[in-house]
Amino acid sequence: MNQLTPNSSRMIVCDGNEAAARAVVLARPDVVSVFPITPQSSLVESLSQFVADGVLGAELINAEGEHSVLSALQGACLAGARTYTATSGPGLAFMFEPYVRTPGLRLPMVVSLVTRDMLSPQCVWGGQQDAMSVRECGWIQIYCEDVQEVLDTVVMAFKLAEHKDVLLPVNVCHDGNYLSYGVSRVEMPAAGLVDEFLGEAAVNWHIALDPARPMAVDPLTGGTGPGGAASFVGYRKSQIRGMASALDVFSDIHAEWGERFGRHWAPLVEEYRLDDADIAIVTIGSMTGAGKDAVDAARDRGEKVGLIKVKMYRPFPRGAMIAALSKVKAAGIVDRSVSFAWDCGPLHQDVMTALFASPVRIPLVGCIGGLAGADITAEHFARVIAATAQAAGGDIPASPIWLNEHD
Amino acid sequence: MAAQDTIRFVPERCDGCGDCMKACSKAKGSASRISVVAGVGQGWEMALCRQCGDPKCVANCPAGALDKHGGTGIVGWSAELCVDCHLCTLGCAYGGIAFDPTAGHVQKCDMCDGAPACVLACGKGALQHLSAAARLHETHADKEDMFVPGLSACQGCNSELLIRHTMRRIGRESIVAAPPGCIPGMGTVGYNGQTGSKVPIFHPLLTNTAAMLGGIKRQYERKGQDVTVVALAGDGGAVDVGFQSLSGAAERGERVLFICVDNEGYMNTGMQASGSTTFGSWTSTTPVGEIGRGKSTDGKYLPQLMMGHGCAYVATASTAFLDDYHAKLEKALAASRAGFAYLHVHAPCPTGWRFPAAMTTEVCRRQVESNFVTLWEFTPADGLRFTRGVERPRPVADYVRMIGKYKHLAPADLERIQASVDRRVETLQGFRRRPAAE
Amino acid sequence: MTDAHAKYLIVGASHAGREALAAIRMHDPEGRLVMLSREKHLPYSPTILPYVVSGRSAPDHIALAKAEWFADNRAELVLGARVVEVDPTARAVRLADGGRWTYDRLLLATGAEPAVPRVEGLERGGYHVLRTLDDALAVRTHAASARRAVVLGAGLVGLHAAETLAEAGLDVTVVEMRPHVLAEYFDARAAALIGETFERHGVRMLMGRRLERAAGSEPCRLGLDDGTELEADLLLVVAGVRPATDLLAGSPVATDKGILVDQRMRTNVEGIWAAGDVAQANGFLSGRPIINGTLPEAVEQGRIAGMDMAGDADLVPYGGGIALNTYGFFGRHAVAVGAAATAEGDGAEVHTTEGNGYCRIVLKDDRLIGLAAIDRVVDAGILWRLIQRRTDLTPVRDRFLSHPLETARALMSQGWR
Repeated sequence: MNQLTPNSSRMIVCDGNEAAARAVVLARPDVVSVFPITPQSSLVESLSQFVADGVLGAELINAEGEHSVLSALQGACLAGARTYTATSGPGLAFMFEPYVRTPGLRLPMVVSLVTRDMLSPQCVWGGQQDAMSVRECGWIQIYCEDVQEVLDTVVMAFKLAEHKDVLLPVNVCHDGNYLSYGVSRVEMPAAGLVDEFLGEAAVNWHIALDPARPMAVDPLTGGTGPGGAASFVGYRKSQIRGMASALDVFSDIHAEWGERFGRHWAPLVEEYRLDDADIAIVTIGSMTGAGKDAVDAARDRGEKVGLIKVKMYRPFPRGAMIAALSKVKAAGIVDRSVSFAWDCGPLHQDVMTALFASPVRIPLVGCIGGLAGADITAEHFARVIAATAQAAGGDIPASPIWLNEHD
Repeated sequence: MAAQDTIRFVPERCDGCGDCMKACSKAKGSASRISVVAGVGQGWEMALCRQCGDPKCVANCPAGALDKHGGTGIVGWSAELCVDCHLCTLGCAYGGIAFDPTAGHVQKCDMCDGAPACVLACGKGALQHLSAAARLHETHADKEDMFVPGLSACQGCNSELLIRHTMRRIGRESIVAAPPGCIPGMGTVGYNGQTGSKVPIFHPLLTNTAAMLGGIKRQYERKGQDVTVVALAGDGGAVDVGFQSLSGAAERGERVLFICVDNEGYMNTGMQASGSTTFGSWTSTTPVGEIGRGKSTDGKYLPQLMMGHGCAYVATASTAFLDDYHAKLEKALAASRAGFAYLHVHAPCPTGWRFPAAMTTEVCRRQVESNFVTLWEFTPADGLRFTRGVERPRPVADYVRMIGKYKHLAPADLERIQASVDRRVETLQGFRRRPAAE
Repeated sequence: MTDAHAKYLIVGASHAGREALAAIRMHDPEGRLVMLSREKHLPYSPTILPYVVSGRSAPDHIALAKAEWFADNRAELVLGARVVEVDPTARAVRLADGGRWTYDRLLLATGAEPAVPRVEGLERGGYHVLRTLDDALAVRTHAASARRAVVLGAGLVGLHAAETLAEAGLDVTVVEMRPHVLAEYFDARAAALIGETFERHGVRMLMGRRLERAAGSEPCRLGLDDGTELEADLLLVVAGVRPATDLLAGSPVATDKGILVDQRMRTNVEGIWAAGDVAQANGFLSGRPIINGTLPEAVEQGRIAGMDMAGDADLVPYGGGIALNTYGFFGRHAVAVGAAATAEGDGAEVHTTEGNGYCRIVLKDDRLIGLAAIDRVVDAGILWRLIQRRTDLTPVRDRFLSHPLETARALMSQGWR
């Protein structure tokens, strides 16, 4: 057992699930509730062991299902607790009823989504279809590229969620298989410094179940009675404001994190070798590593290719995305899930929407890969780059390229 | 009917000393109106006015000299109007009103203005001054009502009565969950930014009440603060979609009090059937028609399932027996400090079941008298104990006949209901802890 | 439906009617309920009338139920409504004033009327009866000026009246054709104890005598069968009553002495019940239809009738009439429950004690069938139930015989738990 010391960072080797669990230890939540599901299970096993070892001093609720997991956390949060859980795929689906309610209650929770493709076909492997299915529920969604980013981002997510201008729940997504089980060397920030960074939890100053401050939480709101419509609209608009605020707040948090811990992550979208690029590939999650390798290889061949990595997906960072896209003549967007309505990926659809609201007009190539645990290799990205280059010349595919169609 | 007193005799504690009679005689300056006599075979017995609800002495009086006081419930006697015919004594089967030769007229107990001398004189605890309503009033009247006036429950609904009683007792150091249903429907959680309660109250989902309460309680325990967290749930949120979270929280021994107010269906939303709806019931989703004959299966009996979870305390209750309910509420609150406490309170619904609003308490009583509803409590250590005997019940038809939702039932249906009532009693009897000797 | 239609129509406003009304309202808070009374006064009990004569009860303080009570019970009381005809086919009753009421369910609780023996010269106007408040007021007024009174009949009403008149200073004679007072309740010895008390208070008790002729008024000259001649300024005829069944003449409702009813107080005609002094229900001990015109019986029957009329499932059918009465006289106290005058033999055992007041206990198969007591406190209501339940007294037999009060209380207290 690695002992976590207060003021010095140190290097360890672990997978993404353990990294998330260690981040939770650093964030010192009051209540953690868990229910195991592949590929998240080792994460909650780690948490349980940390509690058993006294490393994590949280109340641990081993609930009978994800629905109760999130419900218990809602109660705890309303009572003033900093809270955390993690889930995946079918677990997220089962959690859906309390899940959709959490943002409206403005409960600043952090929940890791260890992403998994959705049933059916029956499948236990990675894919972002689960997270993408809840992209319009009002949760903040952040996608991580590697194990270190998982660790750092889970900690930062608490600060984002609890920020008074935000007060929204945050999903930190890391890809099942690649990040959940992928082992790498990571630097553990010093616990004392994280304490300073996060500060005291302030989760229920605005809405509480507390005998000292009696109030009705979530009375019936809306309807056609006097003031009902205005009241409901008021709540919804304030939720949207919280979402919008998250972009700047998260940027500030990243800046502070960089100052304190020396690691500087791009908070919204990361531009990689983009400044002089003719074309770009757009990635989300763990595929970014292979994408960067492909970009490097293309550069080595003399092709002016860059990469745009989406980190914050909800709210959608459209300003940052337009700024990045304005530097290139075409972009190839790689989704790890599908939008059933639009015959493309959800990220592709969001990028198109962002472009439409801007003066930038460039061709987009839609690519879908990595479903159900499939690899997206540098070779796959080479195909994306080639298709994007062709699109820049006017040859735009009418429908998405399915990268693993013949694998 | 207002608060009404009575004097209870506990024969096991009586040693026949006669102090009560001396005290009565002294207090009234005449023959004692309470009479303790040697029992048949052993022990002691007592004759005293019971201040009957429907007193036959009053009915027998030709002179209007006796009357039942609507407020105190005391049967009063007027020396001015009495004509000494003694016909009243023919009406009394308790020896509660008798001719006193020294006084020259009949005498009866007048409860000594609320402080009966006999009770005060009894050092053995064999006499107790009892009054369900009066004692409840005494115990709870000074306590704060935790809900706003004007909750909009249907006329005749006993849920409002129940939740006001419950929260008066529990008080402000509490948090209330009112999952969707009649209880928030009557306005307890409020509307558009206004609350219906003085304590923190919230709408959980229909599905997750017990889990949310568990989470709340864990956080207060972590902070070292003693807060009662209580669910005022309907049967849908407990028996049906709420069952998983309830079961999980019970298994984990979350230290909460879960009260299920069972009106046997989704009454708030238009009387649809729930898992608790009983066989034969008309509901809007088990209608009666050419083919349909109401619900075709028995209801799920949740209290029994909660026993199976080994909860710290499980009990059933009826608002026709509020004393019993309050006793159980006390135990449930105490038990909820150590583990999961579950109370199942039956709530006949005049609107959805179709009976006159004025009859709710009678319907509650009849449910119990017919064993359709049984009153019991359970702890893992002591097993099940009936708090009201189940022997010699009325036929369940006496209950069913009162309820409109059953009016289409054929004799064979009634037989089936009777059989399942009998079976349930038998099953419950099996949960009793038997003495080691057996 | 017309205005003169009631779901529940009650004819008669004394104990049986009042109890029926209350019982109906316990079960049916809505159905229209109308009570017809031939009186112009609010309902009262015939039992109170001797006390009105004596002045102990003020006429305006004897109402069994006042207007507010009817209002509280959402019932209508119609005074001065004397029913003269019942038409079960039309479900209607006709009133003496020509009015008509229709009903869904009808209760006949018309009570009883004075039975006046046929005696030569005894004519209406020459004597008083005592069944109505107006009768009582007339006696009271007359007593103020009369010096000599003769009371014909030594039943409860007669003795009450005799006591009242004697206490008022009149010279009172009681004439009774049966051999002793209160013959329907008490044995000869008990009756003698009561009779002697009257004699000690100056009342002349002529038992076993029959009135044969009467003539004149103020004074009225009376001739008895043994040749005795009496003069009375005030003659009160209280020689019994008969059920008030005149309104049923020509109707299909079956009558014997009174209206025949079953255990639910139903007559033979659907939709018609009867209760109280007018009804003839089975006797508990005899099993045959009897007239048992006592106040507690009227209460019991009225309650049963009302519950049945309203369809109350809690109804416990009538167990059968038991003779019972209590009686206070000259500061003394008498009780008779059941067949207290039964002679020894034919399975009946009689135990009489006179040490500490008179007590006569009649057992059959170690079960109580009757008890009479004078100046001895017993709980009549408990004794009634011991008889009704046929409680086996074998385990407590000796104790019951020596201490009936305490033993009965112990039995009942134990039984109620």
